[in-house]
Formats: sequence, structure tokens, C-alpha cells
Amino acid sequence: MIEQLQYATTPTYNFPPQIENLQLPPTFMELSHNSMKNIESSYLHPTETPLNHPPTEHVEDSTTILGIQQPQTIKTIPLEHSLDQKPVVAVDVSSIRIGETETGVLCAIRGAIAWKEKSRYKYQRIGPFPFHITEQNKKEIYKLFRSHSFETSDTRAPSINNIQARIGNLLERWLQLGICCSAYNSIILWDGSMTAGMADSPVDEVARLLEIARNRLSTVLAFSKNTTLRFSGYKLTDYAEKAEPPCLLQINGFPLSSGPVLLLGDVYVAKLTPGVCSFRLDIDRKVPRERGIEAVQSLLGSDLLVQSYPETLRLAHIFSTFTATEVIGIQRFIAHQYGLKIVTRPNVRRLLFGPFGKGAEG
Amino acid sequence: MRLYKKEGSNLQILSAPSDDVEKGDYLLVENTNVNRKLIAQVIDVQFASVPGLLEELLRDSTTDEQVYGENFDPLGVSSHINHIQDARMLICKIRGTMVNDKLHVNSSWLPCRSKSGITKISFNSLLGNVGGDGGLPINVGETKDGSPLNITAHDLDGRLNIITGKKGTGKSHLSKLLVLGLVDYGATVVVLDLNGEYAGLGLSAKGGGNQYSGRVHVLTPGANFRVSLSQTGLGVILKILVHALGLPGTSTREFKHIWKSLSQRGKFTLQDLGEAIRRCSCNMHVRDALFSRYNSLVNSGFFTDNEESATDFGKLFEKTKKDGGALVINLKDVSSVDRQIVLEYTLGNLVKLLNQWRIKSVFLFAEEAHLYLRETYWEDIVTRMRHFGLFTNFVTNQPDTIKENIYRQADSIFLFNFTNERDLETVSKAARVDAETVKSIAQELPPRHCLLIGKAVKDFPVMVKVRALDIKTMGQTRLFFENRVSA
Repeated sequence: MIEQLQYATTPTYNFPPQIENLQLPPTFMELSHNSMKNIESSYLHPTETPLNHPPTEHVEDSTTILGIQQPQTIKTIPLEHSLDQKPVVAVDVSSIRIGETETGVLCAIRGAIAWKEKSRYKYQRIGPFPFHITEQNKKEIYKLFRSHSFETSDTRAPSINNIQARIGNLLERWLQLGICCSAYNSIILWDGSMTAGMADSPVDEVARLLEIARNRLSTVLAFSKNTTLRFSGYKLTDYAEKAEPPCLLQINGFPLSSGPVLLLGDVYVAKLTPGVCSFRLDIDRKVPRERGIEAVQSLLGSDLLVQSYPETLRLAHIFSTFTATEVIGIQRFIAHQYGLKIVTRPNVRRLLFGPFGKGAEG
Repeated sequence: MRLYKKEGSNLQILSAPSDDVEKGDYLLVENTNVNRKLIAQVIDVQFASVPGLLEELLRDSTTDEQVYGENFDPLGVSSHINHIQDARMLICKIRGTMVNDKLHVNSSWLPCRSKSGITKISFNSLLGNVGGDGGLPINVGETKDGSPLNITAHDLDGRLNIITGKKGTGKSHLSKLLVLGLVDYGATVVVLDLNGEYAGLGLSAKGGGNQYSGRVHVLTPGANFRVSLSQTGLGVILKILVHALGLPGTSTREFKHIWKSLSQRGKFTLQDLGEAIRRCSCNMHVRDALFSRYNSLVNSGFFTDNEESATDFGKLFEKTKKDGGALVINLKDVSSVDRQIVLEYTLGNLVKLLNQWRIKSVFLFAEEAHLYLRETYWEDIVTRMRHFGLFTNFVTNQPDTIKENIYRQADSIFLFNFTNERDLETVSKAARVDAETVKSIAQELPPRHCLLIGKAVKDFPVMVKVRALDIKTMGQTRLFFENRVSA
């Protein structure tokens, strides 16, 4: 029996009516609360402020394992700005390592939903939620994953260090689910790809999200900031260099699956504005091709795009990301709330190598 | 509060936004295990340089215009993040070190960063710690924490003090407060009152008499302050002729002969002097020069032949001997030349009386002294006359009119607000304080607040709100639109 929390689940947001019923599962917050409440440690060894350590991002392009053997064609699809304006909603989640205790690792997770309503952008930040991950409680966390279909063929719980990213992904999927269930006739932007079948993205779960969105006449577009996909030796996005924006490059010849990994979207390279940037864009495979392209054209007419990247998604990223000040603030909160003494351990690299000791401690 | 950095006599202390510490406050940095304490004064409060703050502010700035939203923060972590954003860095000056409860004026001791306790200390406790003398207190006002601030009459005795600040900040008010404070302890005070502001010292705010009525004597040159030639003496009259009226050397020699020959015949009048000059068998130009100066003396109205109506300076001082008193020389409406004549007479006689030990010592308060004191008097007053018992307090809103060497010798400075960097630069030449303190604190002093620097506050600069006085305010600016409300 999970103990009653002192805090409530997400209140009714100031969302457009379609999205206002979005709620965060109480189990997620209970997990955060319980993991912190049961800290059996007297000190917190803080992580150095993350000026040089970018926060972990989630559900990015993980499809490097999909080899592109012989792509048949790359087709350029010119786009036009659609006058049919649609609501645009984006979601992103960040996690960051806060420090270590005698028994485990402390991290914090925060999600952000941004949406454009008429000419104004709005956002909702969820968190930060601190987690204390130990060998003792990682099983409980893993159990939570499984109860939400996030299970892999590997029956063992992942290592403490991997759980931070997993928790972030879990929150991201929850937020995506909430948006898919609430938004109607909208464009939903994900950060990352539509690759499923990995520990963080079970096929059934991702497919369910896409199906819910389709049933509510919404289209999911997934933008990857970094892609490692290559063919003929070149990075996928390099092919858009000479393309005339706004356009999509349709890449044909991708294998739909590789072992347990499955592509649930059609892969494009999107060059939506002039400039040097282009992105891998996944569009729900089950959405008719024309409707998918219409969705991108609606995005052009509905959202501000800078360097081919939608502003709504950029805001979701900005509002979820942790700054160094916030990390210090969270460290202070944990020390204050749970009575931990902050002890800075010497940086072994610095001790050994002096000014040549670059990188994280260890 | 945590000790962050020490460089020379500068200390940087990290402070939480909730810490009630402001500019001017004193902090005690204490290492209990070594029985040492560092006394530091906050001279500036800045935001702490927190990593990532710029990103934070940039992100927040987007929310002001086209983007707005909400935070769902069930654990209340945001308050801690705000706390970090608002963290402050206290820039402090080390004023001394207490070793085994004894004050040492050095800042070389480096306290322990991790184990030092830092506490705010009230100014009066600080003075208690360093052994402040409580005898003959003069209440100046109150410190920021509301506790009364007393200096002692000893702190003004034998000292050179400067009261300075820009117009309308309360310099004259403080000066009056010090005058009355000294009179309370039986001191003799002479005030050179340029604007007739001190004439109301003996009157209450409502207009009736106050406790000082019998002890404040307002002397208006040409009215109730006139002197005879016999009282003046050759030495003083020569100073008037040479320094106030610019008589050349040859003419001065001739005047001496005339004066001496008249003196041999006994008492003489102004008319006798004029007649003697007219009959003098000297060069025509010399005679003309002497005549023009003679006419200036006569026209000043300061000299009289009527011995009964003449002011006996010595007797006036006698009056102040028992219970103390203030002689206010009202120089309002007195022309520049006549002002110098009066001042040469007053100071000349003062020194004479002090030399003869007819009075023990005199506290001189000089408002805008550059307007009537000749250049050579400055050093004379500061160096030589101090030994005769003439203790000067300069009051000015133009600090650059006082020479640098006077700032260096000043024992205490009562500094009111200055916004002009150059003015602060001038004051900061005072030997008893560092320039950073002066510039940082004085620029933000509100009206009627002053920064006390120097011996009066045992070299611990302190900000004080000057207390009100029950005296009639004089010398206010006459306003054209005073009784008119906006149309």
C-alpha cells in the first residue's frame, strides 16, 4: 500500500479546453517522494554545476542500429505554407544528476509542455521531481516501468546510472500520452524519433500513443536535433544542404525493423526555413502520406520556425532544461528538506592530473 | 552567512536573501577556538555571481512578453531556486581584529572559511567591545537599528572636524546639534553664521525661549556688535588693513607711525584717526591709500567711538565661562569686505584672549569658511591655533574649497550625501577612512543621514539618522511659489 502523499496531482491546467484534463500519474510523484523520504545517508556529494555537462535529453534518435543498406531514392517534396492554422503542442523532458549519497544517486526530472494558442505561447512546467536511486529501490522503480508496459526482454533492472534516463523517458511518455488524449485536430511535436522496441519505447506503447492521436485527428511529428543516420557515408541531414526550403526530403528504402527495433514513422529530412539547419523528421507511418505532409504545411502556417525548428518545441526544451542555478537550488532543497550535509569530495581527475584533468569526476 | 574571499582589507561574504544585512552594517567574523574576531563593515551589497544565472534570466525574460505559463512544483523546489538566484555577496572592509577582547587595527588574520561564525553586530555593542568611552555623551541621532548613537564631547575637544555634504542634506542642522551639545557641557562656542541660520538656537520651534535662551548670544555686526578702536589694538587693526583691505607695505608702515603717535596721546576716536591721516606728511599716494581704507572702516559701521555701546569681547566670553554659551556672529547681509573685517577682528581677539588664558578654549564652527577666511588662515587654524585652544569645525557644501592637508589632518568627518564623484574623491583624501567606504556609502545616504568617520566613532564609520532639535529654524530659502498649489 503506497502511503498517502501530502501533495496533490497536477491541478487543472490553464490549457486550451482539449488538453485541460491532462494529469500526471500519482504513482510517479509517489515514487519521487518515497525514494527521497527513505534516504539513508548523512551526506550529499553534489555534482559539479553542469556548465560543461549538458543535461540528459530523452527519446532522441536512437536508430543507429538500423543500417541503411541501399536507399533507393531521395525525393524532394516542396512545401507551401498552409492557411489552415492548427493548435501546436510540444513536449520535452530533461533529467539531470544532482549528486551522490552513500547509497545511491540523486537526480531530478522535469517536463515541459508548450503550446501555441492564437498568437501567444503558453507553457506548463511539471517538476522538478527529485529521485534517489539506490540498489534497494531500483526494483520498485523498475516495477513501475513494467506496470506501464515499459518492459524489455532483459528481466534484470537496469543499472543505477541508466535509471535516471529511464525515469525521464517514462515521464515524457506520460506527458505525450496526456497530450495525445487531450489534443484534438492538432499538431503534436515530439522531441526525438518514432523508433520503438527499445527499453524506453515499447512498441505497443508508442503505437498506442500514435493511434490515440490519429483517432483525435491529430498528427504527431517527431523532430530529432541530432541524427546519426547515414547513408553512402554522409549524414542524413547533409542531403538537405542544397534543397530549397521549405521542403521535405523523403528517404525511401529504410528497413522497417531490425530485430526488436521498429520504425513507427516515415523518415524525412525537414528543411523548413533558409539556413544551415535541417532535421530528421518522423511522421506517423499510419497517417496517410498526404495528411502527414499537410500537417507539416500546417505547422509552417501555425508556428514560428527558426532554423527549421518549431518555436513551440524549442520553448518546451528551454523550459524543461535545468540551469546551473537550478541544480544548486535543488541541491539546497534536498540538503534542507532531508537533512543531508553537503560534502564536496575531491575530484580525482583534478587530483591526479591537475589542469589536465578534464571531464567529469571519476 | 559564509566567508567567501579575503583580499587585503577586503572581505567578501556570501549571504542569503533572508539575512537582514545592509550597507553600513557591522559583522563579526568569529573563530571561537582561537578567540579571535574580525570586525568588518558592509560597504556594498551585490548579487552573488551564480553559475547559470544568465540562462535563467534569459529564459524568464521570454515569459514577460509573448510567452507565459505556470509551474507545477508540488515539492516547492522553486523557492530554493529563487533563493539561489537572489543570493547576495556582501563586500566588506575589515576595520580591525579582536584578540582576547582587545582591539588591534590590522587585517592580516585569516579566519577559517568553513568554521567561522558570522553575526551582525549593533554599533553600540561594537563600541562596547572596543571600550568606547561613555563620558559627556552628545546624542547625534540613531543608527540603522534604531539604537541611539552618542559621541562624546571629548571627541570634539582639541580636534579638527569637517561637516560636509551637498545642499539641503542637513549639515547645518547637525552643526547646531553639536554646538548645543557642547554648550550643554559648559563649552564656549563661536559660530561664524553666514546665512543667519543659528540666530534661532535660543528659541524653541514654536518661537518661545528654550533652555539655551540665556546662553546663545547673537552678535550682528554694525548693530549689537560694534567695537572701539581702543579695544581693537594695533595688531588686530593691522591684520584688518593688510588682510581684509589689502593695504600695501609702505602704507602699513606709515599707518603704524600714525597709530603709535595717537596712542601716546591716550584714547582716540575715528575722527582723530581720520584727521591724523589727513595731516600726515607722507607721500600723496600713501595718504590716499590710507584714506580709502579708513573710509572702509568707517563705512563698515563696525567701529564706534561710543565706548558704552561698544562690545566688550572679553566680557562676552566671561559670560560663557560658567554655564557655557554660544556666540553667534551673524554675517547675514554683511558685505564681503565688512565680513572679512569682522572676522579678522573676531579671530584676532580670540587668539589674544586665548593667549592671555582669559578663556580656556573655544570651539569654532565656520560655515563656508572659504568665503571669509583668507588662505593663510587655513593652516594657521589647523596647526597653530589648535595649540592655543581654538578647535575648528568646518561646515561646507563645497568640499574642494577645503585644502587637502586639512582633510588629512581632520580627526572626524560628518559626511552627508554627495552624488558628485569629484566631491567624494575630495573627501576620500581624509586619512581616517578608505575611499571605497566614502564613495559607496555616501552616495546613497538619504537626507538627514550622515556617515560619521574618524575619532568621534573610534574609527568605525557609522551611518546615523540625525535627531531633530527643538529650535526655531532660521535661514530657510524664501520661495516664490511657497503657498501656491498646482493649477
